[in-house]
Amino acid sequence: MSNLGIGTDEWVAQHEERLASQSPLKKLFARIPLWAKWGSFFLIAFLFGMLSDNQYLLRVGVNLALFIMLSYGLNIVVGYAGILDLGYVAFYGFGAYGYALLSSEQLGQHWPTYVTVPFITILTAILGYLISLPSRRLFGDYLAIVTLFFGQVFVQLVLASDNITFPWADDYVDITAGSNGIPGLDTFNLFGYIFDDIKDYYWLLMVIVLVLTVAIHRVSATRIGRAWRTVREDALVSEVMGVSVKRVKTLAFVAGATIAGFAGTIFAGMQTSVFINGFDLPLMVMIYAAIILGGSGSLAGALIGAIIMTILPELLRVPNYGAILFFVALLLTFFVLSKKFSRFLIYVVSIILIGFAFQLAMKAIGVTQANAEDWVVGFTGDLLKNWLFVPENRILWGNFAFILLLSLIAFFSIAKPIWKHVLLPFIGFTAIFLWEVRLIADVSTTRQLIIGAMLVVLMILRPQGLFGQTRVEIL
Amino acid sequence: MLKLSNISMEFGALKTLNDLSIELKEKEIVSVIGPNGAGKTTLFNVITGLYKPTSGSVKLGSQEMLGLSPAEINRAGIARTFQNVRLFLNMSVLENVMSATFGRTRSGLFSSALGLKRSRKEEAEVKEKAQELLKFFGTRLTGYRWDQPAFSLSYANRRRLEIARALATDPKVLLLDEPAAGMNPKETQEITEIVGSLRAERGLTILIIEHDMHVVEGVSDRVVALDYGVKIAEGDFDHVATHPDVVEAYLGKGSTATK
Repeated sequence: MSNLGIGTDEWVAQHEERLASQSPLKKLFARIPLWAKWGSFFLIAFLFGMLSDNQYLLRVGVNLALFIMLSYGLNIVVGYAGILDLGYVAFYGFGAYGYALLSSEQLGQHWPTYVTVPFITILTAILGYLISLPSRRLFGDYLAIVTLFFGQVFVQLVLASDNITFPWADDYVDITAGSNGIPGLDTFNLFGYIFDDIKDYYWLLMVIVLVLTVAIHRVSATRIGRAWRTVREDALVSEVMGVSVKRVKTLAFVAGATIAGFAGTIFAGMQTSVFINGFDLPLMVMIYAAIILGGSGSLAGALIGAIIMTILPELLRVPNYGAILFFVALLLTFFVLSKKFSRFLIYVVSIILIGFAFQLAMKAIGVTQANAEDWVVGFTGDLLKNWLFVPENRILWGNFAFILLLSLIAFFSIAKPIWKHVLLPFIGFTAIFLWEVRLIADVSTTRQLIIGAMLVVLMILRPQGLFGQTRVEIL
Repeated sequence: MLKLSNISMEFGALKTLNDLSIELKEKEIVSVIGPNGAGKTTLFNVITGLYKPTSGSVKLGSQEMLGLSPAEINRAGIARTFQNVRLFLNMSVLENVMSATFGRTRSGLFSSALGLKRSRKEEAEVKEKAQELLKFFGTRLTGYRWDQPAFSLSYANRRRLEIARALATDPKVLLLDEPAAGMNPKETQEITEIVGSLRAERGLTILIIEHDMHVVEGVSDRVVALDYGVKIAEGDFDHVATHPDVVEAYLGKGSTATK
């Protein structure tokens, strides 16, 4: 029998050498301590609060903070514990409506803030617990459907609770005001200090986000956080290894719900009105987009995702920023697809030539041209107005271009390589045409298109999200 | 230490285990062998509470295990590994082991969030314990590997990590489901030594399912052979390996007893 002993490992021994060959930028980033990375974010937020009096920017800051709370909460439920909860946003709505009912003329209740907020937050926690009872037995898709149902039940209940008949009341009772929403809520009033400025909410939320960041970071790195992740990875093994899976799942669910409910009360106080359509699926999708974009299961990812999903739509309100993003993205796409710089130049020149050819063709068949003042929105329009032929009927031609673009892209994806080279300049031209003719003026649609496209590209290039770790399903 | 009496497990008309009784004394190493489908893994699933047997009883010491949840059974002192290695692949090596201390630790949501002293102390202890356990397998699972995700490990290292994770639950009885499957002869030899030292250093009682007869011969105090859920032979390795029923179960009727 050979004398094996218990082994040594060469791969482990060479670890230092491999580290030395990493890129210097990566090494530098790794060397910055964690508290400094987080601290810089809060420092910027702090300085901004001290220096700025811009109401609009402060409001964006407050929305951002609320969104961070929501994505932190959802990150616990989905990112850590792997519970695919599609009804999450209902807890936010529950918190907001709870605050609204106890702080307005709707029911004639005006409870003090320091009672309402804890009371409603605890109530949300209890609701979260009750909903977790049927949910915790389920996994994946089944759970998603059940929670989606709970979310929709909340919306429908609020919508329908404006005329309820009780056996003891003669008339209809209006509890939630249905789709009219509840206006005129009391703003926060903590022991005589009235939150009459958006800045008050800004500071309050900054402290809350700071506390939550520290707390969640600690929890995720220790016993409960580890248990959440084992449940996400393999609930059966987790149970066999002594983890009380049901309890741990409930804990994640309730923690997420509580944070959302708490955020809801602050939102209602800040907004001084609540409307049910603010707590429906679109917001849910945005929060999911934030944590997926940032990297599900990463606290820094939830923060960055929330920042992107809040700041980007605001930036895209300005057509010029949207235009910059669009053209940079377009050029980058072409650059990546062409692989060679010379080929890239050929593409660009072809697009320019197609533009002139299009102009000649349109004039030849006698299509009326639109006045430049009618369609030029941003600086890109100014640059392109002598090259791009814009027909007078922009809606019709824009719709044509949209269908054409989608068909071209569809063809592109199945075409032989040689045809791809031919198709690409046409795709580029159609995209620019569509952008200048329709999209740039229609900001609300464009924003969503851009965010959607960005998500698609990011998920293909980096499926784990910006800060997420590479994951495997089965190996 | 661990006493299984008259266990029957039926899936509909299929009797996977049939009136099976096995008893393990303290610090004993018992191997379970048998052809594929004999009910070996089902036996493990019954002991760890994943399956509820149709009848029978499982006792750890004097405590009845049947009716307890898998987590409760684990905390009572029974840990296992899986035939098709089931690690928490997307967690680090160290975390895999640390997570298994859940049942032995107390820190809750709030004490962790507030960073209370006892919670930090417990965390440090758990970490040290996990590192200690991983050092058991030489340098392979130490150093920078602690922070590597488990999916980056080789197959053999995954099997080792799974054993370390099971040990982190502080078991009295350890169930190993084919610990040497897929290993090369050198690694198999090492597993044999590890199983032996688990008993010598940690005083564990071990029940082991294994197809590799070198391992079975090397580690077992006693061997139990199963076929179609029925115990067909029990005794020391030589007795079972040459038992005509065992030979028949593996090779079919009329085969000569060879070793």
